[in-house]
Amino acid sequence: MEASNFTDHISRRFNKDIEDLRNTVLSMGGLVETQLSRAIAAIVSGDSELGLKVANDDYKVNNLEVEIDEECSRILATRAPTAGDLRLIVAIIKTITDLERIGDEAEKIGFLASKLAGMDRPADSYRELKNLGSHVSHMLRDAMNAFARLDVAEALEVVREDELVDEEYEAITRQCITFMMEDPRSIKRVMNVTWAARSLERIGDHAKNICEYVIYMVEGRDVRHTDLTENVVEE
Amino acid sequence: MPGSSRKFVLGIAGILLAGGLIGWVYDHAVWGLLVVALIILVWQTRQLLSFNRAVHTRDFAQFRYGEGIWQQMFSRYNYEHERALRAKQEYRRLLKEIRRSTDAMPDGAVILDEDNQIVMCNKAAKHLGGLKRKKDRGQRVDNILRDPKLTELLRSNAFAREIEIPSPVKDEAWLNCRVVPYGANQKLLFLRDITERIRLTRMRRDFVANASHELRSPLTVIGGYLESLSEDPGLEKDWGQPIRRMQQQARRMNSVVSELLELSRLESAGPASKDEAVDVRGLLSAARKSCAGQEDVAEIEVVSETNAQLLAAGNEIESVISNLLSNAVRHTPADGHITLAWSVDKKGAEIVVTDTGEGIPAEQIPRLTERFFRVQRGRARDDGGVGLGLAIVKHVLSRHDAELSVTSDLGKGSEFHCRFPAERIVLEPPVPIVSGGKCG
Repeated sequence: MEASNFTDHISRRFNKDIEDLRNTVLSMGGLVETQLSRAIAAIVSGDSELGLKVANDDYKVNNLEVEIDEECSRILATRAPTAGDLRLIVAIIKTITDLERIGDEAEKIGFLASKLAGMDRPADSYRELKNLGSHVSHMLRDAMNAFARLDVAEALEVVREDELVDEEYEAITRQCITFMMEDPRSIKRVMNVTWAARSLERIGDHAKNICEYVIYMVEGRDVRHTDLTENVVEE
Repeated sequence: MPGSSRKFVLGIAGILLAGGLIGWVYDHAVWGLLVVALIILVWQTRQLLSFNRAVHTRDFAQFRYGEGIWQQMFSRYNYEHERALRAKQEYRRLLKEIRRSTDAMPDGAVILDEDNQIVMCNKAAKHLGGLKRKKDRGQRVDNILRDPKLTELLRSNAFAREIEIPSPVKDEAWLNCRVVPYGANQKLLFLRDITERIRLTRMRRDFVANASHELRSPLTVIGGYLESLSEDPGLEKDWGQPIRRMQQQARRMNSVVSELLELSRLESAGPASKDEAVDVRGLLSAARKSCAGQEDVAEIEVVSETNAQLLAAGNEIESVISNLLSNAVRHTPADGHITLAWSVDKKGAEIVVTDTGEGIPAEQIPRLTERFFRVQRGRARDDGGVGLGLAIVKHVLSRHDAELSVTSDLGKGSEFHCRFPAERIVLEPPVPIVSGGKCG
């Protein structure tokens, strides 16, 4: 499907409005991706300054969400879009909510990173968090790529990936519990690690949601809460 | 009129004339003419149809009635056609060649139109930036490479700037991006893999930091023993001088090490925050006071009309001022004059340190901020400087979006300008000034 499918209107202004809206959503996605990768880098390298910077920059994501939301309402009110355009607007309204939540989770991870930087670090310097983080940021990146290219196949790939992330999260939790049982003094630190892993896992879920909106936008089918993999393979 | 045309017209006229004559012989000249004209018409029509068929089917063997003007026209057409075909093949080959050569380029190149939409990209762009050649055509490039810095670069049309973004394809890989305008409103985006370069820079920085750190502890031990030795009353008299020299050198080494550590810290830090408002005039006065008491020091004056505050890291600005001032003191004779100035204009603000010392040769000014660089003047090393002061100044300033510029007149003196951008200046101090701003 071509990107220009959404921009085939008689009114040129409408074309431009919709195209601008799409671009703003994608740049919001880019901002959130940067926030996430910085937050992960802050945890892995124990950089408290970077972590705080991520936490302080969250307002940019929030501002973009409000701006896009207003623009969506304006288009709905003035243009009364139908069919594909309507689906696009609905999908965007939902996508930015998820993006904003991802921004919040990144903010949390940034805070945790600045806290963890002040405590003693394990020998592997949070390798498992790094792996989970890289996994999740790939998911987010692919989700935004699927949104940009309106690529259902790529979106499905991300949805499948979410299971792996859940497994990885399970493994980290179990590992953390072991640590806490072995050495109760480390509970405070390990709790923070658990929170960070939890945030990363939530980001994976939000990325999955975005992909479901992409499928809805392109195919007009609501695939939430269904066994999506089977559904689509059958068709 | 070409020869074939004349021949054709003459031929037709001849046949018509012959028909007319034959008709005239039988007393029906008009009929004769008409019959001949009809024959000519049928004959020419057949040739025309045959020609048309041959052109359409490109099967030139079918053109059977070729003679005279038709033959000529046909071979002319054939010739032009084949020439066009050859040219087309040549262009196609050339295009393929160009395509192949752009694909062989190690750097990614993306052609963008005026709305930053992708027109074409080469293979390297595909690998480096994760672009898809067919699918992403017409897509805005910053929809795929979604780094805020790249979006900003494309929007600002700042073609001289280069930015570094994390690779969207590989973890921990970095890309250098540059935009070059070309043609009518088109742009070329270059992507270059600079992971290796960044890794090397980081390695160098880490090496310097680690080496300095490792040198520090042995130095502390040496310094400690030297100190207790120098205070030992049972020490033989001849040893006094060497131990003092050793202590002096150990102190010097210690300051080299701590300045190297400071430098590597500054290098790895990002841009300075704007949370702290620094009273520059107060800092200048304080710096003046700490130097003015010593002997052999030139007269120092602080010139500042403004209360403007600088949004910067206070201790770093302090080290900039003290580095510049100690350089000035070291190179200005006691009867000279040093001015510390802080001034604000529309475009920003400036700290200026002016001295009437020996000056710096013009060709050495660009190298001043290199580490361990010393102005060659025959008398090196004994002036007490380490050679890292201006490197620190440069790094602190670049962390504050500021610039250092140096002008100097040999034998008359030098001027060091630190220029800060307007967004780091607050004209009205938000809080009442605590450290007094007395002018010297």
